Amino acid sequence: MSIWRDFNQGIVRENPVLRLMIGLCPVLAVSNSAINALGMSVAVMFVLVCSNTVVALIRKIVPDQIRIPIFIIIISTFVTICDYLMQALYPVLYIQLGVFVPLIVVNCIILGRAEAFAYRNPVLNSALDGLGMSLGFALALVSIGVIRELLGAGGVFGFTLYSPAIAATIMVLPPGAFITISFLMAWLNKLEGKTQ
Amino acid sequence: MIKIIRLSLILTIFCIISAFGLALVYIYTQPIIESNAKLALTKGEQEVLPLGQGKVFQVSPQGYGGPISMLVGVGSSGEVTGVKILSQRETPGLGANIVKILFLQQFIGKTVKDPLEPKQDIDAITGATISTKAVCWGVKDALQRATSEGQ
Repeated sequence: MSIWRDFNQGIVRENPVLRLMIGLCPVLAVSNSAINALGMSVAVMFVLVCSNTVVALIRKIVPDQIRIPIFIIIISTFVTICDYLMQALYPVLYIQLGVFVPLIVVNCIILGRAEAFAYRNPVLNSALDGLGMSLGFALALVSIGVIRELLGAGGVFGFTLYSPAIAATIMVLPPGAFITISFLMAWLNKLEGKTQ
Repeated sequence: MIKIIRLSLILTIFCIISAFGLALVYIYTQPIIESNAKLALTKGEQEVLPLGQGKVFQVSPQGYGGPISMLVGVGSSGEVTGVKILSQRETPGLGANIVKILFLQQFIGKTVKDPLEPKQDIDAITGATISTKAVCWGVKDALQRATSEGQ
């Protein structure tokens, strides 16, 4: 029961982007199309699940005073692995995401989960927490990406649904990210208000 | 003192493990990354110089959102055989339209004698004068380099 809770709390109840409002920088920057959002989500999922698992594995041998540098070493190792793999296997996506792949290192969701969860919990729970949190991140990021691409570029996942000439270009520009994210947060808060 | 040594030792061990792991991944991925880059470049060169006679120039004029990296093929008699945008950061929906084939096609056949100015011999992209001019400059630059090399 508690394992299930560890897994699903990150998806809606403690959604990192729309509820906790952390990790917003990559969300704003790479959500201009659905495919970029999906690529970024997969990269973050890989890093978060791996770093949570390793942190939980070594949590008993790590001295308290140097835990943060060790977390950073673990996270940056997985980010660099992810960077190399993406560059080798998906070069087109890698060019699209640009500097935001290496910047996963400073994504506060990852260090936050290592410190707040994986350092205090067993391996399985930590891995599931990482999976749930990154699913929540993916859910928010892909929704924003789909909405922005649909309104701003006239399509979804690269398929054109209507002429881009009449689409609201502002939605794929930076202001569109802020507009979309604020509407999604407002909508989620309204849903929450109804259930309470 | 002993405590400091113990802590640095633990940190060092973690760094060594991490470096070892990264080295393994690097050895596996580096050849693929290099061949990808080479493939993209030769594919681009073939696109801008379909007949294979002449020279391909890589130029990066300053656009609206940063440098535009592009390939320009110049044929043996000094005419543009093709233009390809490798990377750009122009405004989506406006300046980013410089990658469209319809826009780039109008440069084919131009020589160093053509003015290469928007509204004269080039149809500019609506709302993206700076991006259009940047591509024109890039083509001009390539043509000038081709003539100075030919002399």
